[in-house]
Formats: sequence, C-alpha cells, structure tokens
Amino acid sequence: MKTRYGYANAISGFFEFPTENARRILPPHLEPAELHHGSSIFSMTAFDFTESTVGPYGEVVMSVIVSPLVKPGERLPKSAFYPYLVATTTKAARDHAIERWHLPHWMEDVGVGFSQDGPRIVASVTADGAPVAELAISDHSWNPVSHLYQSFMKDDRGAYLANIVMEGEQSEHEEETGRIVLHDHPFNRDLILSDVYEIPFRELWMRKGVQTFDPLIQLQTA
Amino acid sequence: MKAVNKKEAGQSAFAEYDYSNFYYGAGDDPLNLLTPFRDWYQEALPNGYYLYSEPLATAPTTRVRVQNRKTGQVQDLLNLASYNYLGISYRPEVKQAAIEATERYGLGASGSPILSGTMDVHVELAKAVASFKAKEAAILFPTGYSANVGFISSIMRAGDNILLDQYSHASIVDGAILAKSRTIFFRHNNPMDLERKLLKCSGKKLVVVEGVYSMDGDVCQLPDIVEVCKRHGARILIDEAHSTFLFGPNGRGVAEHFGLDKDVDFHLGTFSKSLGGQGGFVCGSKDLIDYVNAFGRSRFFSCNLAPPIAAGLLAGVKIVESEPELRAKLWSNVAFLRRRFAEEGIDIGKSASQVMPVLINNDAKVFSVAERIQDRGLYLQPVTYPAVPKHKSRLRISVSAAHSEEQLEVAVGVIGSTLREAGIIP
Repeated sequence: MKTRYGYANAISGFFEFPTENARRILPPHLEPAELHHGSSIFSMTAFDFTESTVGPYGEVVMSVIVSPLVKPGERLPKSAFYPYLVATTTKAARDHAIERWHLPHWMEDVGVGFSQDGPRIVASVTADGAPVAELAISDHSWNPVSHLYQSFMKDDRGAYLANIVMEGEQSEHEEETGRIVLHDHPFNRDLILSDVYEIPFRELWMRKGVQTFDPLIQLQTA
Repeated sequence: MKAVNKKEAGQSAFAEYDYSNFYYGAGDDPLNLLTPFRDWYQEALPNGYYLYSEPLATAPTTRVRVQNRKTGQVQDLLNLASYNYLGISYRPEVKQAAIEATERYGLGASGSPILSGTMDVHVELAKAVASFKAKEAAILFPTGYSANVGFISSIMRAGDNILLDQYSHASIVDGAILAKSRTIFFRHNNPMDLERKLLKCSGKKLVVVEGVYSMDGDVCQLPDIVEVCKRHGARILIDEAHSTFLFGPNGRGVAEHFGLDKDVDFHLGTFSKSLGGQGGFVCGSKDLIDYVNAFGRSRFFSCNLAPPIAAGLLAGVKIVESEPELRAKLWSNVAFLRRRFAEEGIDIGKSASQVMPVLINNDAKVFSVAERIQDRGLYLQPVTYPAVPKHKSRLRISVSAAHSEEQLEVAVGVIGSTLREAGIIP
C-alpha cells in the first residue's frame, strides 16, 4: 500500500563535501555518488508537510547522495540518497517514520520554520532552543514533475529501500545563489563543518505536491 | 520505453533524464544501465543528440560538408565548431609534409616512444616545440588527454595533494585519479578559494590550471594564482591546450601573456587545437623531461604519434613561428565577433578568447535552437548539462584566423535571428 504525504514546500540544497566524510556516514553496502573525484554530495531537505496520517508537521532530512539500485525493466530513479539523520516537529511524525520507514531520527522535537521573500526561501532548523541549520535557496523556472527517488535506510534490524515519487511543481537550478549555515551543534556531529562548501551547487524547490512512498523493501536482515 | 517507463512518469524520458542519470547504478550486473540508457538515447537522438558526431566529408576548413544524422542529407555549412584556431591543418605545406612522411615512414610509429617507436621526425618536433616555448626540452604524447594523465601521474603520488579548478578538463581529473593523490577542487578561477584549500594541505602540492577554459572561454587568473601558490610552496602546472600558439607576444601561451613564463613550473599543451592536428606535449627542464620519459605511463605504454602527424605538426609549428600575422588575424576576428555579438545583445558570458559560448541558458530550448541554426547553414555544437551546469546550456563557437569577417557577419545574422525567434534575446 502506498503512503502519501502532501506538502506545501520541500526545499533541498546539494553541497560538495569530502568523500572521506561521506564514507564515514554511509554503511558499507552503499557507494557515494561523486560530483568530482573525491567530492561527494551532502543534501539538506526541509519539508513543510500539510497532510499526512499523522497530521501536518515539519521535517528536515540530512542525506548523502548514493548510487541508485537499477533493475532492468523497472523505472529508472532520478537519484538515490541515504538519510543519516531525520528530525521532525512532532513526536507522532517521528514515531511513524521510525516504525514504518526505519529512518534514523533526532529523538526530540525540532523547530522547522520557513520564510519566503519573493524568489527566495529560507528554512531554519532549531533543536533544544539552539540553531542547527539555515538553508536558503532561490527559484528558477517552474515545471510540473513526477520523479522517482530511492531512499536507503539501515537500522539494527536490517537494510531497507523505499521508492519515493515526488510530484508537484519543481524549480531546479545550479546558479549558486543559495547558502547553508550549519551550526556547531550535536545535530551536525557527522559532518566536518569546515569541509562542507556553504554554497549549494544545486538548488531544488518543490511546492504544492505529494510525496508517495511505495511499501518498504527489505534488502538485508541484521 | 519499458525500462524508463515514461508513461508511469507522465513525462518524456528525454526531458526527465540526462547523461548523469546513467552513470551510477548499484546492483549485481554492470550491464543493468544499458537498457534504460538505450531507451533514453533512442528518444534523445531525434530530439537533438543527433547533432553530435555528425560525420564530416571534408577538411575542417571554414566551410564543411556535414551529414545530418537525422535526415541523412549532406549539408554545406559555415564551420564554427572545429578548433583549428589558426587554420593550419589543411595548409598545403602541412599536407605535403604529411604526405612525404607517409612515403618515408609509412603509416604508424610501430612502437612505444621509449622502445622502437621514436623516429627522427619525433625528435625534431620535440626540439621545435621546446624552442618555440623557450624551454630546455619537450616531450611528446600521443594525445592531449594522455599528456595530462601521463604527466600528472608521473610526478605526483599517493598522499600528495593535487588542487584542481572545478572546471578542469577530464584529462586533468583523470591524471589526479591515476596519481592516487588527494584531489581537492577549488572554485573556478578563484585564487581566494585556492588559498583556503592550500591552507589545509601539507606535503607536496600541485595546483593545475588551464590557460583558457574550454566551455566558457575565460582566461586563467594566473597572476593571483601564481602569488597564492608561491605563498604556500605549491608547484603550478598550466594546461595551455586552448592557448598555446595563440596568446602572448610570441604565441607561447597565457603564461607568456602575463609575463609569468618562468613562474609556472610545468607547461603542457596540445597540437589538436591551434594546429588542428593531434597529440600533446610537456615542456620544461631536461631533468624534468627525462623523468617524465621514465615515468609517464600513458606515453610509455602507447604507440608514438604517427610519423605523418608529427611531420605535419612540425610544418605547423614552423608556420606559427614565421607567420605571426595569423595570430593577429585571429585576434582581429575575435574582436570583430565580440563587438558584433555585443551589438546584437548576444551573451557570450566571460569569454576573453577565441572560445565563445553563445549562452542559451535554457536546457529545454538549446537543441531546437541548435537544430534551427544548423538548418540555416551554421555548424555549431550545443553544450548542455552535465557538461555545463543546469540551465547554462550554450552553443560553443571556435573562432579561427581562417574565417573572413563576411563569414562571421553571416554567423552573427543567423545566430541573432534564431535567438530572437526563440525568445532568447529581445
């Protein structure tokens, strides 16, 4: 059975960071996709979910972009990612995502705020009352899309894959107009902050759309 | 279209995917990407990808006969796509030298340059290049690609640091990979970012830049980069693929243009751009060249340049030395085209050289624009993501000394009217 989440905004920044850092985050069965030799891709995505089985909530997903799993005869994914840390604004959303999708979570509620000023949108994340990250991106041309992504998960019970279709209006560009500020906070402990290039090489903004998860696929058991 | 399944996606596979989607793929079989790529490519070809690799039936002069891969028809086109910046490859004396070398040596070198594949014409060409570049010695490589790969991996090792401009040519990146060194990219042409990266490096450091960058036609900020490198004890390699024989009072390249010939440690160039031939070279001290001769594996384990090519290149170098007016004509053509593009409101970005990107900045339109331009008589190549950033698609122009102003004026007219019709310019 498919699971749907409606969102008002989903904004992502994609940043170069050292492959050594990516490999420290990834489980051994996943390979980082490199932008250049030695430079992998860290992404931060902030969601403003308006509709779900657990009500509206905000979510931030910290990921490493990895090789997708390609199978002959099946739809080719646009890309794949390994979310190494997810945080939500409500406990219900967190419990739901851990139970259903085996996603690794920050175990406290966080603040996820969006502020839009014309073509620019900023997502601000706070945890324990302290700033964690601010992601700013801008828009380009808007087009309706339906894109397949793969999300790989791993916990103490096994390794999993979720096929996710993102539908909605999309703006994507590489104008290098965005910026991320990652604060020195335990939330960001997996990254060497000075090694993450603060300007995204790609900015992706989706709005007024639906994120649809296919049933989880178990790849390995623990 | 089963594998890509465009119906499920509700979109054209051509629009949804690009080359970058077919590079990575986990799974058990290395052939898993073939079918989805084939399905996408079959749709991409008639939508514009047919414009790549169209066979030429003539020499790459200013007019070429090109077989349209979509219609099969041969078109007579004004050529703005070939390198051949000085129009040398088809000069009678160059062709004659190659013919005579074919009579004398036959087709190929029949051996590695370090074993039996070095002919006297190779020795003569290396000496001529060293003399032209005012260096003690030079060493030849079978291609420009192998020059970067072979040179970088001959002098750098695991644990060393190689700092590359983010827009570096693939051969430079592959050389760094083969060297197994730590590879660090700095922002394009940005000495401040280079300095930030150098501050984090210890041990051997090599900074690699290009004289002219091939997608944007902009010139390396060499004075500032040299200063930064000196401050941090880094060696500098300049790849002058698109600038040797063109820039500087004697045509030695961008390093000479800035008066920094002696401040750059390693000088690399190719014969395929300005001379329209084939091959690459590195110039420097005799000690350096002896070392590269011993450890440049891409050369060591390749057959030497074909002797007719080497002979033609030797004739080409002599023409460059004896006819500085060719460079003057090229720069006059560049100035003419820059002025006319500016008058027409055509954006060529930061180009400061004979490589001019006509910026379309619209990935969805670049192929239809390129198609219309070819149908109107111009031979140009579209360049799109992932070769350049998303929405930075362009048509790449190579200006030659062989072009007449009348030809360039025709090109401006066709490009201007097509961009206007497509809504790219007002």
